[in-house]
Amino acid sequence: MVELAVGVIAAALVVAAWEGAARSGMIAPQFLPSPSRVLTALWTMLTQQNLIWHVAVSTARVWVAFLLAAALAIPIGIVMSSYRIVGAALEPMIDFIRYLPVPALVPLSIIWFGVGEETKVFLLWLGTFFQLVLLVADDMRRVPQEFVEVARTVGANSRQVMTDVALRSMGPTLIDNLRITLGWCWTYLIIAEIVAADSGIGYVIWTARRFVKTPEVMAGVVVIGLIGLVTDQLLRLLHRRLFRYL
Amino acid sequence: MSAYVQFADTAKSFGPIEVVRKTSLGLDRNSLVVFLGPSGCGKTTLMRMVGGLDQPSTGSILLGGEKVVRPDRRRGMVFQSYSSFPWLTVERNIAFGMRYRNDITAAEKAERTRHYLELFGLADFAGSFPNRISGGMRQRVAIARTLAAGSDVLLMDEPFGALDALTRERLQVELRQIQIREEKTIIFVTHDVEEAVFLADRIVLFSRRPATVVADIDVAAELGPQRPLEIRETQKFFELRNRVLHLIRHETGAVV
Ligand SMILES: Nc1ncnc2c1ncn2[C@@H]1O[C@H](COP(=O)(O)OP(=O)(O)O)[C@@H](O)[C@H]1O
Ligand SMILES: [Mg+2]
Repeated sequence: MVELAVGVIAAALVVAAWEGAARSGMIAPQFLPSPSRVLTALWTMLTQQNLIWHVAVSTARVWVAFLLAAALAIPIGIVMSSYRIVGAALEPMIDFIRYLPVPALVPLSIIWFGVGEETKVFLLWLGTFFQLVLLVADDMRRVPQEFVEVARTVGANSRQVMTDVALRSMGPTLIDNLRITLGWCWTYLIIAEIVAADSGIGYVIWTARRFVKTPEVMAGVVVIGLIGLVTDQLLRLLHRRLFRYL
Repeated sequence: MSAYVQFADTAKSFGPIEVVRKTSLGLDRNSLVVFLGPSGCGKTTLMRMVGGLDQPSTGSILLGGEKVVRPDRRRGMVFQSYSSFPWLTVERNIAFGMRYRNDITAAEKAERTRHYLELFGLADFAGSFPNRISGGMRQRVAIARTLAAGSDVLLMDEPFGALDALTRERLQVELRQIQIREEKTIIFVTHDVEEAVFLADRIVLFSRRPATVVADIDVAAELGPQRPLEIRETQKFFELRNRVLHLIRHETGAVV
């Protein structure tokens, strides 16, 4: 509780300093508009420029790509660490792709998929799948051998070992890794929406920039930050709920 | 009487590393046999083969005359760490031993779980998670789980190795009582001589890797089946312990 209060007070101080600096007139407002101007811009965007819709579009893109990545990465990661040969076959390739910066793949992705939704989902998927699959493989490797052996001894078959023991044992780190990669997905979203979109929060920011509407740009950034913060906290809460035993 | 657990010319290598050299050894039913030997000598490997978790490279292992090919609930394992599932309560950890059995009803499972909760003094912790109870309690949970599963052979790999001295002592006494009362066959791996002598009906002493039997000591003949704590202070116990220590120093090739 004390920590939360300290955090809130510190943030308030920073905002107050920012307001003071902006009002002092030492910095041109197109570089640093005051927090109150940013708030006003945010209000206008919400009430007149359909910001909610843009946020919804972005969120949908992130979740579609993220769920596609997770749905593939979890089984593939598990198989990679369960069968050494599969791991040996896939790991070098995955490792290579994982180190490719997503922006470098934008042109290729546009050639393949055009500038529609597919490109955006593909880029986000690309940015998360290859990271996640290695994390899942690692989580699986960390399942204590003892758990698996106890289950086999009391008569669990392979499927039961997987569902009743391996997945349960991986649960906490798996959810944590999902939370972290979801954060990365937002980063790639902005890149994807800046280069090829006519909707979404990245598009809003980029358009505002063209007209040097700094308050709108900043309002957009604040919104992304808020979405990130709220999602992260919700997933942490879920983690605590699911894994009370920790 | 023929042996219940029989190592028949059993040998094990991992690639080029010979871990167990051709061994034949028979263990009686309803006895507690301690496998003692320097660490890294192959004790765990021997026990895992009895459990069906590893296959011998040559030879075989027989349980009641039948060749062991895979793990099953007749042989329950108790490990030093990760012995119980952290996501299950104490009660559900014990019940896990029966989870995949279709031959008994849910009511019977609940009844057996209750029985072992009481037997191990765990009833008050039935709803607790393993992280909230002591290390000694956690090992009790693991033993209760194997008994609930209906195992008649318990394979215990340094199960008390991580416990403090007092807890360890208490669990040794309890284990000995339970072995007698429930008529179980127990293979108990340790490298602690004191623990070996206190618990064992019989101590099989192994050499440094590759493991071979270097001594076979009939402890029950000298200390009898009952092991109250005070036995540790008797001269018989003391002499036996020294004899085993001497054997370890001179026969196993261990660097102590
Ligand atoms: N799966 C394995 N692969 C390769 N070597 C192993 C394996 N399991 C055990 N060993 C080796 O076998 C030897 C005996 O191991 P272990 O049976 O665990 O000894 P102990 O339980 O007596 O300490 C060790 O040198 C260990 O490195
Ligand atoms: Mg060992």
